[in-house]
Amino acid sequence: MQEIKLPQPPPAAARPPRPAQLPGIFFDSDMGANIDAVLALAVLYGSYAKVKVIGVSVSNANLQAAAFCDAMGRFYLGGAQYYAPVGLSENGRKLPEAAMLAKPLGLKSAEDKPVFSSDVRSILDTADTPIVLRNALLTQKAGEGTIVSAGPATSLVRALSMPGNKELVAANTGVLVAALGSFPNGAAADPRVKADVSAARRLFAEWPGPIVAVGTELGSALPYPGASIEADFSWSPNHPVAEAYRAFRAMPYDAPSQAIAAALYAVGAATGSKNEFFQLSEPGTIEVLEDGRTKFALGASGRHRYLIAKPDARDAAIKAYTSLASAKPAPTPQRGPRPPQANAPLKP
Amino acid sequence: MIIKKKALPRRTFLRGMGVAVGLPFLDAMVPALASGAAKKPPVRLAFFYLPNGIDMPNWNPDYTGKLGELPRILKPLEPYRSDILMLGNLTHNYARGLLDGGGDHGRCSANYLTGAHVKKSTTEIHVDGPMSMDQLLATHIGKQTKFPTLEIGMEDPRQSGSCDSGYSCAYTNNLAWKSSTQPLPPILDPRVLFERLFGANADLTPAERARQSRSRARVLDFVQGETQKLEQDLGPSDRHKLDEYLTGIRSIEQQIERASKDETPVHPGMAKPAGAPVDFGEHFKLLTDMLTVAFQADLTRIATFMITREGTSRPYREIGISDGHHPLTHHGGKADQLAKVTQINEYHVRNFAAWMERLSTLKEGDGRLMDNLMLVYGAGLNDGNRHLHEDLPTLLIGGGGGTLKSGRRVIFRRETPFCNLHLSLMDRMGVEVESFGDSFGRLAGLDVA
Repeated sequence: MQEIKLPQPPPAAARPPRPAQLPGIFFDSDMGANIDAVLALAVLYGSYAKVKVIGVSVSNANLQAAAFCDAMGRFYLGGAQYYAPVGLSENGRKLPEAAMLAKPLGLKSAEDKPVFSSDVRSILDTADTPIVLRNALLTQKAGEGTIVSAGPATSLVRALSMPGNKELVAANTGVLVAALGSFPNGAAADPRVKADVSAARRLFAEWPGPIVAVGTELGSALPYPGASIEADFSWSPNHPVAEAYRAFRAMPYDAPSQAIAAALYAVGAATGSKNEFFQLSEPGTIEVLEDGRTKFALGASGRHRYLIAKPDARDAAIKAYTSLASAKPAPTPQRGPRPPQANAPLKP
Repeated sequence: MIIKKKALPRRTFLRGMGVAVGLPFLDAMVPALASGAAKKPPVRLAFFYLPNGIDMPNWNPDYTGKLGELPRILKPLEPYRSDILMLGNLTHNYARGLLDGGGDHGRCSANYLTGAHVKKSTTEIHVDGPMSMDQLLATHIGKQTKFPTLEIGMEDPRQSGSCDSGYSCAYTNNLAWKSSTQPLPPILDPRVLFERLFGANADLTPAERARQSRSRARVLDFVQGETQKLEQDLGPSDRHKLDEYLTGIRSIEQQIERASKDETPVHPGMAKPAGAPVDFGEHFKLLTDMLTVAFQADLTRIATFMITREGTSRPYREIGISDGHHPLTHHGGKADQLAKVTQINEYHVRNFAAWMERLSTLKEGDGRLMDNLMLVYGAGLNDGNRHLHEDLPTLLIGGGGGTLKSGRRVIFRRETPFCNLHLSLMDRMGVEVESFGDSFGRLAGLDVA
């Protein structure tokens, strides 16, 4: 039989070098419960030159939260881009409808089309978080993935239960940055811990890698300035972050930045850059008490640290928050063209 | 039904001169007053793999639930829609580039039944899994039939060299993997498959084979005596069933003989397998007719069928398309090229539907053969232009021995692992495995209308 000569790729030496892959960050949050999760996701998308958002999930069971995350991705990456579906925890807590999500999602253009489009119309348009996390981490080299948690630990703990995920997290994740708790020993429980105390305890006890925790005290010390919403986001006539911020509470107000700080620290950690804004505590172990309060015990062998604001970098940190959160979308596609959504819309 | 003192064994063969012809499921094989499992025919599973993805807007309907009017590509299957489960959102994540870059065709076929990551290499082939799901099934139930599995294909026997961006042809040209390094090449030549099924000429030299061919003796001639003897013990219904079955085998053999005399090349520069018709449809019909016989006679319960290799550039002159399939799928939005892709997708379905028509008439036990089949018809890529690995086009056809509620479109959550389907299929074959590939549970709702 005669062999067909197929066109062969040029030898490796002749090919142009592939651009280096950006470090990847996975973001899990209780989107809809607090405004800082919106700003944290904005900071990650705004850092597109340094990191790539490799996956997004919501720890609550609200479809609207997933739809908003989907809309955020489209806004920042451009409508024609492809990105992974949003993970949603069916077993997560069901939050009351949030105006900060409903308002931007409900905005219509003059042509009566959604201003911020989303493909999430039913649970089928979302994915199971353990699968989304796994698929995201498989795109990362050993130790190079970073995870930001800005919600109850519900979905991350469940993600660990998937066969092989614990090993994958251990192998491919550098650090989990968790906006969870109050440090070193919080007088009151962080609502994100209280929302699922059992999951928080398991997260700190079972997570197979280092955790940097960001406490409520840091979020209060470095509030996101409400004035930034009118000053920095006006480049777009409609901006999902600005719309959500305005809908969350009566303006003007400054917002605690626990999740934003986690995102900002994660960008630096993922890229290995000098930590300008924060310092880390000595290593130790975080324990979650029955009532949801967190307690930090120093110990050289501990895998936990908590984040501390550098007093002299307060203004710089807040400046970084506002400039990254309000950054214009990436000018060039991160991936290939978005596929047609063949499954949507569906008739019942 | 005729009640006899002793039932005919299920694995009865008509034998003669190196030939062994299995029998279809006959009433005489059911023990008198038998009930339940003893009376129940086995479930058989086959995968029909399509290359180069699908024109998805003409595959996916815009509704879910009960199957109604089917989209253009699937139209030929409308008469059989009550036997079809159309599955949505199944994903093979390990077929994606991950850290390996290009080579989606090379990955997706090798990953389809293994669910595993594939090593990017042209010389050191390796899938990061123990074996493909068909072979895993075979390790559990393969001994119950003459052939643990059958691997069938229609094109390109190459097992080495690069077929896609540094991926070996062993990845694109095989579905079944006996181990992480051993693919099982499909049988492409209908004559070879025929001889394998019926044991004729299997060990003959080419000279002996030619001599036997010249004698014009056919398989059924060798077993004529045993056939007549058996017929005396059968009731009228079984005699009719046996006659239809043997007529089918005779017809297959005649077609192979005709094809053997036609030496037209199937592809510029490539000789066709000796027993293969030049025409795609005839080739497909011959192979599927033999698969029907293999299922009827319970010669195997597990089969894989590559409807041409992954990444194929085969032209389809049968329908007036002289461009290669793979280049056409990279249409870049050009309407004329996309239209040809749709035509090829339709053509494949039309041929498959013609087989369905034949299958749907066949009785088995108290029902139809179709009730005891699970035929997965689908592709390892979604959109061939963009090389997508999510929402893989997948039909699950047949009743699965009463375990599937068909006639519906079932959509799962996005990114649901295709390997969940593998687990659900293995369950229905009586093999319960905790996990396979990147599975994360079973598919819910296949048996609930």
